[in-house]
Amino acid sequence: MSTRTIEIIVESNGSTRVQTRGFTGSACIDASRFIEEALGKRTSERKTPEFFQVADERQRLREGGG
Amino acid sequence: MSHIVEIKTEVRDETAISAACQRLKLEAPTQGTAKLFSDTATGTIVKLPGWRYPAVFDTQSGQARFDNYEGRWGEQRQLDRFLQGYAVEKTKIEARKKGHTVTEQSQADGSIKLTVSVGGAA
Repeated sequence: MSTRTIEIIVESNGSTRVQTRGFTGSACIDASRFIEEALGKRTSERKTPEFFQVADERQRLREGGG
Repeated sequence: MSHIVEIKTEVRDETAISAACQRLKLEAPTQGTAKLFSDTATGTIVKLPGWRYPAVFDTQSGQARFDNYEGRWGEQRQLDRFLQGYAVEKTKIEARKKGHTVTEQSQADGSIKLTVSVGGAA
């Protein structure tokens, strides 16, 4: 089983960047929400290439009927 | 599998404020009304090193009120350092509430990296 982690970089001005690693599909979004909500206001969010790889595979499977 | 969220820290947790003060060896925070230069502010009062007036946090709004006269009455980096300490302590508190373990590493650029290990189902 892969290790699931949430990595938080706290900059020297107090702003934070939260990144998830090792989660399957959109589970990462649920996993880190508690920290994001506790810390403050989101200024940006982006999915990493890993996230889309999983999404693309699912779409291909759906489109291919398989 | 992964996403990145950037967050502007809001100071809303009294316990994490106290923990940040301990971490930075500041006086314990107090509740009340503090005098700023030409105004007063009510909330959680934190005395920052070298600052003429304290920083006052409204934990309902998450915002700070202070008057450092653009750095002449107190260095901005002291407030930044407090916010960094607060964010670190708040993250640790929330992760531990969930039963996760947290490790902390200082980085060369002054940032602090926290790694929260999310355990599998028992």
